[in-house]
Amino acid sequence: MRRVLFIIGILFFLLIGCAAQKEQTAGHMEKMTEDTGHAEAGQMEEMAAEHGHGDVKVTKHFDESLTKLTDNNLYSLELVIPDKHLMMGVNTIEIIVHHATGGDVAQADLTVTPWMPSMGHGVLQKPVVTERGGGLYSVDNVVLSMTGHWQLQVKVAKDDKTDTAVFDFPEVKAMGHEHAMMHAPPPEDLDYATMKMTANNAFNVMYSSIGGQIRINRIHSWELSIKDTAGEPVNDATVTIVGDMPEHGHGLPTEPEVKRIGAGGLYRIDGMKFTMPGWWVVTVSVMANGVHDSVSFNLNIL
Amino acid sequence: MRNFFGRVSGITIVAGLLFMSISAMNRGEALSMDQHTWSAGEKAILRSLWIGSLGPLPVDPSNKYSDNPQAAALGRKLFFEDHFSGNMKVSCATCHREDYFFTDNLPLSHGMATTPRRSMPLIGVAYNSWFFWDGRTDSLWSQALGPIESKLEHGISRTMSAYIISKYYRKEYEQLFGPLPDFMEETFPQHARPALDDPDALKAWVLMTPDQREEVNKVYVNMGKAIAAFVRTILPQPSPFDRYVEQILAGENITSRMALTDDEAAGLRLFIGKAKCTNCHNGPLFTNSDFHNLGLPQKNKDAPPDKGRAAAITEVLSNEFNCLGKYSDAHPDDCPELRFIDTSHRKYVGAFKTPTLRSVTERPPYMHAGQFATVREVLEFYRSQAKNPELGHSGLTDRELDQLEAFLHTLSSPVSSLQAEEK
Repeated sequence: MRRVLFIIGILFFLLIGCAAQKEQTAGHMEKMTEDTGHAEAGQMEEMAAEHGHGDVKVTKHFDESLTKLTDNNLYSLELVIPDKHLMMGVNTIEIIVHHATGGDVAQADLTVTPWMPSMGHGVLQKPVVTERGGGLYSVDNVVLSMTGHWQLQVKVAKDDKTDTAVFDFPEVKAMGHEHAMMHAPPPEDLDYATMKMTANNAFNVMYSSIGGQIRINRIHSWELSIKDTAGEPVNDATVTIVGDMPEHGHGLPTEPEVKRIGAGGLYRIDGMKFTMPGWWVVTVSVMANGVHDSVSFNLNIL
Repeated sequence: MRNFFGRVSGITIVAGLLFMSISAMNRGEALSMDQHTWSAGEKAILRSLWIGSLGPLPVDPSNKYSDNPQAAALGRKLFFEDHFSGNMKVSCATCHREDYFFTDNLPLSHGMATTPRRSMPLIGVAYNSWFFWDGRTDSLWSQALGPIESKLEHGISRTMSAYIISKYYRKEYEQLFGPLPDFMEETFPQHARPALDDPDALKAWVLMTPDQREEVNKVYVNMGKAIAAFVRTILPQPSPFDRYVEQILAGENITSRMALTDDEAAGLRLFIGKAKCTNCHNGPLFTNSDFHNLGLPQKNKDAPPDKGRAAAITEVLSNEFNCLGKYSDAHPDDCPELRFIDTSHRKYVGAFKTPTLRSVTERPPYMHAGQFATVREVLEFYRSQAKNPELGHSGLTDRELDQLEAFLHTLSSPVSSLQAEEK
């Protein structure tokens, strides 16, 4: 009897665990890993993909994929994204690489680089490429750290033939409201430090709000202090500011301006404003002495 | 062995029950929780919504008369003066009724004709950074002037306004602003204004001399500043919600004595928590004065869609009566909202300003084109249809909507404003 109770208890536990779990989005990953053998070089299929240049027609494997020819027309790339959209956060994508004339490209050296053109920065985390066979490569750990305009630069190198294509994503958003993640609070281990090194350790940036604690819905100013790795103040930097709520993707409600204030690596940001409570990320991009780097600060606005 | 099974199954079942009750709580079902106990974090949020956190009226650097009691007294008279209209029947009070929380009860307001939007409530309006549903003016005085020259609203011009002031309010005007120019005595064009929608009025305006135009503008601007001084005095009184917050902050939590019932407090809990209302309805006036597109249904499907804030950005930047303009009393450094305005049009297409929720249940209908006749419809809309990722209200039950609605009723209170002087 007790054994039966024990088993019932375990089943109960499992049931509750399943009920409490959020629904996982079923990826198109299942389809991907099937053998994607296809036409040999020279064969044309009915479905012609749209390319930015030239009339080279290559079979598309999936209706919803993005296809592009590389800049020197050496390769054709088919990019498949689950749910059709890249999202802020961690993405996994698949890329099918063909020669321009149609054949699979196996054992190529594929590099995928996320880049934000308006911000002039990439990401710290490097995407991980795994070859699956038949010209198919899966790319994990494509981390887009904020919403906005992103590009994925895909470089293919094989047999001394290297070529690149850039895929443009003008509006990468945070996950939609129907996704369970929307209700998740910010990560528990979020660091709210007000002084940090930039992503590639080029600068040390510290911020403080002028006039005391930041109050919601009030335009206020920040003071920034920028130093180099030797601890020397960085004057003459070009500084740009963007901000966002990672869970919402609406950006800052104002367009702040940065001014240098005297020597000592001090700058003032005027026009800062937060109109919603919660987790904000403000990213400071610094360009000085030919070096360009950026750092993101987390804030919890009450 | 047998004991082991016994103990473990006992523990498992208890744990399972605990799990279930925790997930039931997460689903928002009512448990016998004390509705009047709040964490430190929640109390901080309650304090931020409390009327006691409102603080004094912000200084309006662009209007040197904004805190002048004489200007407010004149402004009140002008507010209720229906001579300021083409048919002598429309005053500011027509669409901002003193007996209806300084808004009206129409889905689309009606001055000289039906306008494309609902009237906004003026409760605590002076605390806003932007005015109108689309924020197309950046000060209360420049907002007051907008409807005067709009054909659908008051339907007159600035020259007519100056004429009316000289005829009916000369004494009060001159006491505040100095002598009215002499040229007011002559006959001058009754309907002249820099109009894009009235070629005759525009022509008459252009035919005036620069000095004449300047004099008219000055009178017009002063009129706006006086009206703004009055409208600044329109403020909410404390509501049951505010009394409740005072009780909570004072450490009271005896259910029978609290200013909010259990259901109302549950609604408040949802408002600041799961329902995420405070994303936009935050602060003592329950508005962040920012612009959001909720995916509302369009009122008139045949008309071009109302672009909201996106269309207003250029308008406010080029408005002759804005904070940086020559009629503003502000130093350019005192115009931060305008200087740092977010010019990203795409972001603001169809976005409208968050209105205040004070006394919201007393003043239907709701939204910028009066799309919803009841608060319940608004809540149902948020729950089921809002496309905005910032809202995320899909998980609310009917009971929770009841509680939210009950809470919203607790924001009702009288509105105070400068009263008429004793004659």
